[in-house]
Amino acid sequence: MTASTQVPVTVLSGFLGAGKTTLLNRILTEQHGRRYAVIVNEFGETGIDNELVVDADEEIFEMNNGCICCTVRGDLIRILGGLMKRRDFDGIIIETTGMADPAPVAQTFFVDDDVAARTRLDAIVTVVDAVNLATHLNEAHEAAEQIAFADVILLNKTDLADAAAIAAVEARIRTINPYAKIVHSARCAVPLDQVIGLDAFSLERVLAVEPDFLTSDHDHEHEEEITSVSLAADQPLDPNRFEFWFGQIIQRFGTDILRAKGILNLAGEDWRYVMQGVHMLIEANFLGPWPPGPRISKLVFIGRNLDTMDLEGGFKACQVD
Amino acid sequence: MSGGLTLDPSTLSGSGPTQIELNARHMDIGAVPVLGAALGETIALACGDGQMRFFARDGNMSAYQVHRGAILSMVVLPGEEGVLTGGDDGRFLRVSSDGTVTELSAHQRGWVDHVAAGKCGRIACSVGRVANLHDEDRHVHALEHPSTVAGLAFDAKGKRLAVAHYGGVTVWSKEKRGWKPSTLKWAGSHTGVTFSPDGRFVISMMQENALHGWRLRDKADLRMSGYPSKVKSWAWAADLPWLITSGADQAILWPFDGVKGPMGRSPLQLCWSVPSLVTAVAAVPGREIVFAGFATGQVVFSEIDAMAEPRMVKRSAGAPVTVLTCTPGGRLLAADEDGRTMWADLSAI
Repeated sequence: MTASTQVPVTVLSGFLGAGKTTLLNRILTEQHGRRYAVIVNEFGETGIDNELVVDADEEIFEMNNGCICCTVRGDLIRILGGLMKRRDFDGIIIETTGMADPAPVAQTFFVDDDVAARTRLDAIVTVVDAVNLATHLNEAHEAAEQIAFADVILLNKTDLADAAAIAAVEARIRTINPYAKIVHSARCAVPLDQVIGLDAFSLERVLAVEPDFLTSDHDHEHEEEITSVSLAADQPLDPNRFEFWFGQIIQRFGTDILRAKGILNLAGEDWRYVMQGVHMLIEANFLGPWPPGPRISKLVFIGRNLDTMDLEGGFKACQVD
Repeated sequence: MSGGLTLDPSTLSGSGPTQIELNARHMDIGAVPVLGAALGETIALACGDGQMRFFARDGNMSAYQVHRGAILSMVVLPGEEGVLTGGDDGRFLRVSSDGTVTELSAHQRGWVDHVAAGKCGRIACSVGRVANLHDEDRHVHALEHPSTVAGLAFDAKGKRLAVAHYGGVTVWSKEKRGWKPSTLKWAGSHTGVTFSPDGRFVISMMQENALHGWRLRDKADLRMSGYPSKVKSWAWAADLPWLITSGADQAILWPFDGVKGPMGRSPLQLCWSVPSLVTAVAAVPGREIVFAGFATGQVVFSEIDAMAEPRMVKRSAGAPVTVLTCTPGGRLLAADEDGRTMWADLSAI
């Protein structure tokens, strides 16, 4: 392994008892020939079957960069830095506490240059309990945040819930996060390629995953604190207008916007403009020409109070007249 | 030595490997270099595979497996009779250059992130939020901090221990009834700490692209910012003294003379050579010279003089230089992130 190799990091989130440790042990014990370093939290469930286990003491701190929501996990910067001195493993798995906010974890990979140079966030995998998710969502805001940030949601314990209950849980998940891939499992028995090696934070991946637009007309009975808005435009976007509008939205509402993803058709450009981000940290680039056919811009926001931001009107105004 | 170097034909405009490079000893150690230090004319190199490697005065290298995982920290003991190391195996060790290992303490499921050595036999290591200070009577004081310890340094007399953490630096002073803390506050995460050689200033590295300092007399703040990247390597040089740092496209030298030190003054910038960032710096005790290693693998030398012309020591490209150490007699070790080392005897030129 050389300095230019980025080690993939998988973040496991989910409430206590949802099955994080079961999934972790499945990943570690399956015969895949890969070696993982595991970062666990001090309140974690015990019994992890791995030789390289590091205890993390969650230390969230604010960056002095004028960005109010830019919190990072100092303990992860330190531990990842230490692990990168060894380089005798193929990947890193971070198990977060049941009540952890995933934002500082994700932001650590964008904000710290050394972490960004040597590791890459592969995916945030959130394990949810098909039986108890509704209770968790109603009782603690962290449950919705963990779903909002997820790239993959492992809907676990489906053997203990009936089909109607599973459908209801899935609908609630979709309201919060239309992008995540939902994988059903009993006792976390899933093929590992569903949770590991996803490269979910790359811009290429944004192109590959179509958001689930079910939510726009879904009649949900629960008022979720965190929701999503999916926008589409068939007219090209004025680059200057879009940049101004989007910049303003992120500046004003960055704390409430948890994740954003978009594939945009900018006027005068033949390539797709792809963006994705966490709170105020947005990554964007031109990524290959549009395929033949209509060029539809798509933009998805996941966050709180999205209805107060006039996202639809603002996005519409960015279209070339 | 510096006389020899100025005769070297390797000016910046040359091409191909320098004469120093051609005469140097190159190795691939197959491990991540973590920290380097001079023990007299021997250079100690702590590595990510748990080995201490010692490059003797003739350039011959000996390796000793001292930690089971990575070595995270290493400092030279006063008197140069060996080094202290801390590892991710939770052990705090003293290692001599012949490979003799003494275990000073072992910590269950903890990493020994930082170590420090002071005069009077005082040593310290940190595990999580606790700095364990071993006093000269072998009594160990467990000094607690509000967040994980990110840097440790004794002053020149061994009477104060500075501890970097989130929100500032705590300075512990030896008093009649034990060690007493005094807090230096500054918002943000402090990731390293050093005392000026005269003990008047404490300077910290920060998570942001800046250093922060305090004049201890009145806790006046010193802001040293404007770096394009994080500062990860620093060294005290010459009699003035200068604090040489990495993090910019040249070596940055902050003057610490006078009452105010670098307050309101611009740093000296040396070793400009390639459009790349300096990732490691080295000074040589008693000499007015500086070495800078770059992200693109080059190593450049300069005398500490605003008019000095930088000279190429290593021109060939490579991985970022992360360890750069020079002995008083002019033996230089440069090691890059991929584990390639170059040992050169500059006194022989």
